[in-house]
Amino acid sequence: MSDSKKIDVLIIGAGPAGVAAGIGARKEGAERVVVLERDWDLGGILQQCIHPGFGLRTFKEELTGPEYMHRFIQQAYDAGVEFHTNTMVFQIDQDTNSVWTMNKERGIECLNPGAIVLTMGCRERPLGAIHIPGTRPAGIYTAGTARRFVNMEGYMPGKRAVILGSDNIGLIMARRMIWEGAEVEGVYEVRSWPGGLRQNIAQCLDDYGIPFHLKTTVTKIHGKDRLEGVTVAEVDDSMIPIKGTERFVECDTLLLAIGLIPENELSRMAGVEIHKVTGGPVVNDLLQTSNPAIFAAGNVVIVYDIVDNVSDEGLIAGVNAARYAMGKISADIKRIPVIGGENVQLFSPQYVTGETDTTIFMRVTHPIESACRVFAEPGIYSQRLRYARPGEMNEVKIKAEQIKALGELKEIMIDIQPL
Amino acid sequence: MSERKFICVSCPLGCGLTVTLDDNDNILKVEGNTCPRGESYARSEVKDPRRVFASTVRVRGGKLPVCPIRSKTPAPKGKLFEIARAVAELEIDAPVKIGQVLLHNVCGTDVDIVASRDLAAI
Amino acid sequence: MNYDVIIIGSGIVGASIARELSKYKLRIAVLDKASELPSGASRANSSMIHGGFDDKPGSMKARLCVPGNKKWHKLKDELDVHLDECGSYVCAFNDEEIKHLELLLKQGKANGDPGIEIITGDELRKHEPNVSPEIVAALWSPDAAIINNFEAVNAMIESAKINGAELFLETEAISLLFDDRKNIRGVMTSKGEFKAPVVINAGGVHSGEISSWAGDKSFRIIPTKGEYILLDRSTKGLIHSFLFSCPSKAGKGITVLQTSEGNMMSGPTASEQEDPEDKTTTSEGLAEVIKGARRLVPKFPVNMSITTFAGVRANTDTGDFAISVLRTPRGFVNVAGIKSPGFTSAPAIAEYIVEAMREELSDRIKFEPNDKFIPERRNIPRFLYLSMDERKKLAKENSSYAQIVCRCETVTEGQVVEAIRRGARTITAVKMMTRAGTGRCQGGFCCPRVAEILSRELNIPLDEITRHGGKSKLLVGKTKEFLLEKYAKGAGQNV
Repeated sequence: MSDSKKIDVLIIGAGPAGVAAGIGARKEGAERVVVLERDWDLGGILQQCIHPGFGLRTFKEELTGPEYMHRFIQQAYDAGVEFHTNTMVFQIDQDTNSVWTMNKERGIECLNPGAIVLTMGCRERPLGAIHIPGTRPAGIYTAGTARRFVNMEGYMPGKRAVILGSDNIGLIMARRMIWEGAEVEGVYEVRSWPGGLRQNIAQCLDDYGIPFHLKTTVTKIHGKDRLEGVTVAEVDDSMIPIKGTERFVECDTLLLAIGLIPENELSRMAGVEIHKVTGGPVVNDLLQTSNPAIFAAGNVVIVYDIVDNVSDEGLIAGVNAARYAMGKISADIKRIPVIGGENVQLFSPQYVTGETDTTIFMRVTHPIESACRVFAEPGIYSQRLRYARPGEMNEVKIKAEQIKALGELKEIMIDIQPL
Repeated sequence: MSERKFICVSCPLGCGLTVTLDDNDNILKVEGNTCPRGESYARSEVKDPRRVFASTVRVRGGKLPVCPIRSKTPAPKGKLFEIARAVAELEIDAPVKIGQVLLHNVCGTDVDIVASRDLAAI
Repeated sequence: MNYDVIIIGSGIVGASIARELSKYKLRIAVLDKASELPSGASRANSSMIHGGFDDKPGSMKARLCVPGNKKWHKLKDELDVHLDECGSYVCAFNDEEIKHLELLLKQGKANGDPGIEIITGDELRKHEPNVSPEIVAALWSPDAAIINNFEAVNAMIESAKINGAELFLETEAISLLFDDRKNIRGVMTSKGEFKAPVVINAGGVHSGEISSWAGDKSFRIIPTKGEYILLDRSTKGLIHSFLFSCPSKAGKGITVLQTSEGNMMSGPTASEQEDPEDKTTTSEGLAEVIKGARRLVPKFPVNMSITTFAGVRANTDTGDFAISVLRTPRGFVNVAGIKSPGFTSAPAIAEYIVEAMREELSDRIKFEPNDKFIPERRNIPRFLYLSMDERKKLAKENSSYAQIVCRCETVTEGQVVEAIRRGARTITAVKMMTRAGTGRCQGGFCCPRVAEILSRELNIPLDEITRHGGKSKLLVGKTKEFLLEKYAKGAGQNV
């Protein structure tokens, strides 16, 4: 791979963001666009997401994860994107932007592309991130690990599961376990609102009578070799377990759906600035990181709610990486900081250049279950909403011409407040 | 007159729907939906609730030991476990093509089970 | 099975004795009930190689700690074990604690801890800028170090194996076997009889019970749990060494350290309990660790925690190690009640006890020097720490080194395969030997992959692979078979 022609745009990860970035880069005119994938297969985590619910906005129909990726991968091949599977990037050098890859056939190679797009996605928060007292037996998995065992390897992680956390992946796995003949005792969420989409609570839990317990968490793990049960307890408003509400639940499996974290080991090595709240690279609306030759898109930047957004962002990053590689992005573009208001948990991008129309994706800190307004000040955007929930992203749309018209702008403030 | 409440599962919005029925279970009105899909979901949920079934099927000689499948169209909700069993009994040979019909008219539902990815043989 | 010596327990003590004994032409069997090493207190501890100031002069601990420390500084190269020679500080917050430092200084000098000195809080903060501004003084022990205890135990037992010792895992000692004259004849285990005229009790937290089988009840083990919190490796550099606090009313002495691999870590608590196997963590214990850690390092980033764990140490009611060659029954050797500074002392304990055995047990076994003894042992290549040229070379020689299995710790398939070749049979064994699964995702990514490699290399079905032996299977069967079996039982379900 390294001996042949120079790579214009190198994309790391062939999930939805990476494949779309490949398409974007080729369509923008970059000659050699290479996507590296560490797995033997293209598609990333969506290959494991075999349930329907993807691509409604993009394709106007509900596809499963593999079907959604199949369409994008076809488009990418048609656009002339070059894929290399079983190829893992394990290092990016800060000063030279050299990308080190490994592959069993080709060994270790060093690539020096014109631009890099980071599309490594995210990973699940492990048990250690939340201190649950007790033992450490077999049978405790993140929902995604269990999903891989069930959907890719064809093995059952257990017979009777408790699910801690209500992120979508946990809700989906609850139904998946039921469909494979296992029992799901219940889903426990420490917060007073669900982590996942209401749609998934309805069709994954309610349909099968799986109890959903808000403000309840697992407080102890039991079992020496294999999990034998968990203690669950209700929590107060400060998320402290309430004495006297403890209950022992027998189970052989505990699935964790307690959140996703952008995967940025490589980004850190590459020296791009990482945002303290999102955990992903700080990006402008061209999805350019603090290193001008490195772009980033998808869940590596901020964990999205639906995949259509990830693909859209991937496309934008690919287009701009191509433009950068072709010398079409100037070094002294504007960087107007975006500031999140009091009910904004996180958002991306963090800078607006005014070079392009842009969408700022954001999540609220606390749910608002009544009419509210999402807005960008000074007077850039305002949209009425029926509600705003942390599980679903909200958008602020900004036109390049608005930014140009506003001239010297210190910052843009975004927020969602009740009406 | 009676009322039934659902969460619409047609899209991630998850609208809360209220369906008003007369004494013969005829639908009088649907409220709470924000698009026509919501209305048709509510109607079908009352008369003939359906879900897309998605699972895996065993594969002989494939790059993976199982291949993801789905019901091509939504299947009757009350038949899902029967379908799950029919799919569990099935074992197919690699290679598998996406969209390939694996079970016609599964469990007499007039719904086909199709492969939802390409799976190469080893 | 006939041996000259049976060692019960393959923690750092049993393993060190095995290696020391392998310098002689002896048939050595090492038994451990666990499925992987280390498993007991040698796995879950502070990984500290102590300077030697903490023990009362005249005690066995004081006598063996400093020589043990010296040996580790040499063994690190011989056995290819990570040892961060970073030194340690005992931190004092007030005059009363300074008095305690002075006592430790005196003890340390008496015990032979070289270079030990008291420095001011400001001097400490020059080296460790993130410690509490309230620390007024510290006892600096330059020879203290932090070891990779997972590697060290495996290295030690591997070295013994290279020199002829045999290791039997999942082999639990049940009782002692005696001859007609009530002398030692061997050990009855969960896997049957092991015969030998000499049996060494290195049973850690179980050593009191094993000792009582031989009729020696001169000491009692008080299992004492210590809980810890381990942080992500990106905390590297927040501190650089090992920080002790003075024991006080506020706490029993929580420490903060940076492990040999760069993770920040804090612990242990000390709570006495009945059950030697109870390694459960508790919310009270973890709260105590966090409080103690923040006292030393106010910005101890608890949110970077990747796991919590507990170990049970073998405290004795005498307060000292219980090391002796028993007169009756003949052939029984106690190396019991080994707790801090046990890991440090282990190589010295081994040398001490083997010397004592040569004096007292030569009628039972012959101590002929093993002239083929090989002191060196090489670790499984640590891909993470290799230079790019070394990596390229390794990947060229063996393509499985060009495949990452654990992305948090950059562990390659080649390392996992090599660990299996060296005896790993469980997910945890691979973790102990390669660090796969010790990183921030705690095996979320690599556990299925390691399981697949174990299944492939050992040619056993995936659903037979265990996390840590026994009944700790990862999986409960194949998906479709599971469902059909359920329906066969008539457990159909309607929506």
